[in-house]
Amino acid sequence: MGTYVLRRLIQAVPLLLGISIASFAILKAIPGGPLAAYENDPNVTDADIRRLEHELGLDQPVPLQYASWLGKFVVGDWGYSVVSHQPVLRLIGERLPNTVLLMGTVFLVVVLLTIPIGTLTAVRQYSIFDHVTTGTTFAFLSMPTFWLGLLLIIAFGLDLRWLPLGGMRAPGAAGVDLIDSARHLVLPVATIALVQLGSRVRYLRASMLETISQDFMRTARAKGLAERVVVLRHALKNASIPLVTVLALDLPELFAGALVTEQIFGWPGMGRLFWDSATRFDYPVLMGILAVTSTLIVLANLFADVLYGYLDPRIRYG
Amino acid sequence: MQGPVRGGTLVFAIWQEPVALAPHLRNQTVANVVARPVTEGLSRTDTDGNYQPRLAKQIPTTTNGGVKLTSDGKMDVTWQLLPNLKWSDGEAVTSADIKFTWQVWMKDPNTISRTGFDQIESIDTPDDMTAVVHYKTVYGPYPNNFGDGLIPKHVLENVQDISKSDYVRMPLGTGAFKITEFVAGDHITVERNPNYRVAGKPYLDKVIFRSVPSREAAIAQLKAGEVQGMWNLLESQTPDLEKTPDVKLEIYPSPSVERIEMNTAKNQDMTDPNSVHPVLGDINVRHALLLATPKQDLIDKLLFGKAKPGTSPVSQGWASPKSLTQEGYDLNKAKQLMDQAGWVAGSDGIRSKGGVRASISIVTTTGDQTRERVEQVLVDQYKQIGVELKIANQPSSVLLSGSWSAGDPRKRGSFDLVMYASSPGIDPHNTVFQRYYSKNIPSAANGGNGQDYTRFKNPDADKAIDEAGSTLDFDKRKSAYAAALKLLNDAHVIIWLYERAGIDARRTNVGGWSGNVWDDITWNQEEWYLTAR
Repeated sequence: MGTYVLRRLIQAVPLLLGISIASFAILKAIPGGPLAAYENDPNVTDADIRRLEHELGLDQPVPLQYASWLGKFVVGDWGYSVVSHQPVLRLIGERLPNTVLLMGTVFLVVVLLTIPIGTLTAVRQYSIFDHVTTGTTFAFLSMPTFWLGLLLIIAFGLDLRWLPLGGMRAPGAAGVDLIDSARHLVLPVATIALVQLGSRVRYLRASMLETISQDFMRTARAKGLAERVVVLRHALKNASIPLVTVLALDLPELFAGALVTEQIFGWPGMGRLFWDSATRFDYPVLMGILAVTSTLIVLANLFADVLYGYLDPRIRYG
Repeated sequence: MQGPVRGGTLVFAIWQEPVALAPHLRNQTVANVVARPVTEGLSRTDTDGNYQPRLAKQIPTTTNGGVKLTSDGKMDVTWQLLPNLKWSDGEAVTSADIKFTWQVWMKDPNTISRTGFDQIESIDTPDDMTAVVHYKTVYGPYPNNFGDGLIPKHVLENVQDISKSDYVRMPLGTGAFKITEFVAGDHITVERNPNYRVAGKPYLDKVIFRSVPSREAAIAQLKAGEVQGMWNLLESQTPDLEKTPDVKLEIYPSPSVERIEMNTAKNQDMTDPNSVHPVLGDINVRHALLLATPKQDLIDKLLFGKAKPGTSPVSQGWASPKSLTQEGYDLNKAKQLMDQAGWVAGSDGIRSKGGVRASISIVTTTGDQTRERVEQVLVDQYKQIGVELKIANQPSSVLLSGSWSAGDPRKRGSFDLVMYASSPGIDPHNTVFQRYYSKNIPSAANGGNGQDYTRFKNPDADKAIDEAGSTLDFDKRKSAYAAALKLLNDAHVIIWLYERAGIDARRTNVGGWSGNVWDDITWNQEEWYLTAR
């Protein structure tokens, strides 16, 4: 197992390098640049633009710009935003906790709801509960988050006035106010969780159905085990393997955040940082986020594979 | 409405994220909105476009002896600070801070614009209250040179790289408020400055600038009463808000003028500035296009009447040539002009001349609904005079990049018609010089310098602009700009579509709020107050 993990980690290095080259190339291929924002300022002269271009290294050939970014990045210097001049690590550092809070809550909610709902729909196949769940999950699965989010805002924020329209805390709230934070979490968490829940429940339902029709289930029942034990201990453990993979692959989202939802709800997280940076062509910030996200995705894949081996002893990596 | 009340917290919605608030590093409107009540300069502009002294005793002029022209064509400006000025941390403001401000502006490599500061040769500080600024040339916009904010020497003199310090987000100022919190993406809090020079002001204890995702979200929060103020609404959003009880709109003129610029040079061959555009090179065609543009109709139907037909790029302020006009909508005259110029209609109704079809394209920023609708109207209107118009929009990051190397089509001359908006400063010289002086036609030869995108070239206009730039006499400057802009209009290279309005909105229990043509809505935030309603 140790050598397997080591080999996978070594393989990841050229992969990540390739990803970073591709990301940089794509970012640079998008026409425009960070200095476009100064165009409408009557005081900004062409000489100012050329000076800033030089100062920010934007007048260098693209491969050189990439090499200079990579050289610094690997020794831990993530560079500075070309727009706000703040260190990239600081910009990420101030957004990350907010995203972890949002996406961590989503993750918990999804896991805690998927397992009972997925199990029940499979065990009670073709029951009313199954039909209703299947219909609802399909509906949410098919909804774009931007639409669902706005709908929830209109319903619970504007019309009913039950919940705040956006943000992380009430303006002027001092210190930690758990109730206020929770109120602000409800709608964004619901938006992401409802959409994710759909696919997760479908996964668990499908694999559960496959598992409960297998021979060892009949054997377990024949042994005289209670139905509860049969379902929870024998069926669920085996049926959850594909779900675990899916959930493990969700882990990078704890860092990357939710682009659309954070935007709609004005949540000051990583997704919004990425969006704002993208619209401003803030290359160092974008590259920092992309580098971490791609690393996390590679690691999450590895983690899922290792977990797989743990959950199913028949799977062995050599 | 009751009179001013002291105390209270006002929440103001900002739907863009301010990146830098330091005076020399900020450029976004939203950053100015937040920082205006915090950092103050020597002067500011009132609603009528007049300079007002702020930290200075008076605006130096030649009449009051504050400005002296030297025999070698240079200029000395003497600023006197108000007595007993303090930074919000209690330290005294001195003339050394004025000098330091200039030094930071010139030394920090990330300074956005050095305009004005690069005209200064040196600054003397004979005493703590006096700074003598020696300009290299006669520099007309000097009153506003130190308008954005003084930079505190005692805080920053030992800081190596100011652009990477905390000062960028939390600049120390002398204004009515001081920044106490900057939570990226969430909110920025400013609180009453205890050392503010005006007793009894500001009225408010605190202003929270709350980050919201979009204009629409800001409007929703304003209606719900979660925020009490917001700035910069679209014309199309006004009918709905005008009906909302508890919300009041503030609509006032702005210097921003929406225009359509016509490329008079041939698209492909930019190495030869004399090469003429096959269709738009003909002044009659350009004139006809102007006549076929129904400005008033566009304003009434697409902007809900919240704008005025434009006549020049300098629509506001002392330099605005009020007597300058541009012809209105007249389809018949447009057709006659095309006929007279020898453009003959073909079987599809589109005219041609000497084998050249009158087919051109228009480019504007993608995703701007108002502009896209204007384009559709123009396609229809221009067709009626036998000109085919094709729409080929581009993202604003490309179309308005302002950079030759980034491929701005206006710089490269690779457009026929381009529609966008631009505003001059309170002193229009930079705009008029950069945009309508013939040496500012961007080309490969000059490294893409200048913004004379229509390739307008007129020696008399050049002469007038030179004249305006070399005198401090406001009347002479004003008539020189008017002469240059008249020649520009006579060449029919730009259609001044409309002068946009500034539109802000607030809850009705906010008082003291007033729009300013030349400044951001928070320009007089020390006067704002909240009543119980």
